[in-house]
Amino acid sequence: MRSYRANYSRKGQMKIQEMAFVLAAIMIFFAIAALFYINFRISGLRQGVEEQRSQEAQEIVKKIASSPELSLNKECESCIDLDKALVLKESKAYKNFWNLDYLKIEVIYPNKKQGECIRGNYPDECSGITIANKTKDFGTAMSAFAALCRYDATSRTKKCELGKIYAAGEALK
Amino acid sequence: MRIIKNKRGFEFGFGWIFAIIAGAAIIFLAVYASNELIKSERQISDTEAGKQLGIILNPIETGIEEGKSSIIKFPGETRVYNECDSSGIFGEQRISIASKSGVGKDWEKPGVPSSFNNKYIFSSGVIEGRELAVFSKPFFMPYKSADALILWPLEEYCFVNPPREIKDELENMNIKGINITDDIKECKKQSKRICFTNSGCDIDVNLQSKSVKKNKQTLFYEDDSENALLYGAIFSDPGVYECQIKRLMKRAGELADLYKAKSEMLEGEGCNSNLNAELEIYSNKTKQIKDSRDLYQIQILSEEIRRENAQLSCKLF
Repeated sequence: MRSYRANYSRKGQMKIQEMAFVLAAIMIFFAIAALFYINFRISGLRQGVEEQRSQEAQEIVKKIASSPELSLNKECESCIDLDKALVLKESKAYKNFWNLDYLKIEVIYPNKKQGECIRGNYPDECSGITIANKTKDFGTAMSAFAALCRYDATSRTKKCELGKIYAAGEALK
Repeated sequence: MRIIKNKRGFEFGFGWIFAIIAGAAIIFLAVYASNELIKSERQISDTEAGKQLGIILNPIETGIEEGKSSIIKFPGETRVYNECDSSGIFGEQRISIASKSGVGKDWEKPGVPSSFNNKYIFSSGVIEGRELAVFSKPFFMPYKSADALILWPLEEYCFVNPPREIKDELENMNIKGINITDDIKECKKQSKRICFTNSGCDIDVNLQSKSVKKNKQTLFYEDDSENALLYGAIFSDPGVYECQIKRLMKRAGELADLYKAKSEMLEGEGCNSNLNAELEIYSNKTKQIKDSRDLYQIQILSEEIRRENAQLSCKLF
């Protein structure tokens, strides 16, 4: 049986190996550099998005009192209608209306019994109406003071109290 | 026959071939990668700008004020894409941006659109310019349903013989690029002319039939006390206008449901409105609107609800 063997020079083989290593090293270097860049860019983007979302939440919290879903009427557009807020909380259609993870209205003066408002304890036995609460980890909520008005059955007029509105933008998933 | 033997010949060995091929591949990859990187960076900054535009439109929306105007300045020539989608509960307003660049193509695809449920932008589908004018008008029918944002590049609009209230309003807002005249001949050549008493302009407004004719299409509006729909029909593309009308009506319908729920809740407290039946019909009608032609019927119902609510001692809105 005859066997064939190529006659390569050892020097040539060394050169090929050298180049292959150099190429591999270059590739690895570029891959690492690209990984670093992508990582750096993604964290920058993530931060940018979070900043924009909190900026959006800040703008929303400033304007939400005068949105038609919450505002009292033409006479006091920046007053929040608490009766409307309570029915808004129950509305399924409005669950994702504002791009917010958290939206809550809270009565701060006069002091009231702490707790979430439902039809059974509203308006005297509770202090807050949570309209949106998609996640527990919503970060820091932006807040603004607002006049909270509702129909008072005893005086048969509108009664206004001091409150605060809290909002947090949607977090990245 | 002579055989030329060049003893000083150039040796084109494996090393050279390998270096040329590998070098070319590396250079090609580097050029391709940097090109892609520039493209994606452009997309990212356009996407950020789109979101930013949506955010800065928030303070322009009306609060207690009747109408606000403003100028939005971009760092360079920019295209704003106004996409309106009327599907879903409230529909969606999508804004995306493409910026002009000296690298690669002048205009690339716009960035990822930013979506908003609570914005209603009346404009052309694509607005191009370095500066954009914007003003907002609250939309009442019969209660406030939303703020309409009117957006256009700073091109000249010439209003010929507008009614007194529109003339006063535009003059008070002091919006750049809007010219008001009594004679069509006084309009600048390149301006878009809007006629109120006669026809033959780029946009003809018929105050009797409450319609706006533009691009051979007729759009209908209704009196909403603030003329939000009239301005919307003048400044936007017919497709955008019809879509925003559907979205506005859907929101008005959802608000009718809220007012109905509020009315039912307060009934037990001695605040009886007797508007529940009307609100239910209004909600169904607004949610089923096909186009701006249906506004007339909705306006009749809205006026009825407004009148009844005004007479209540315990007003719903």
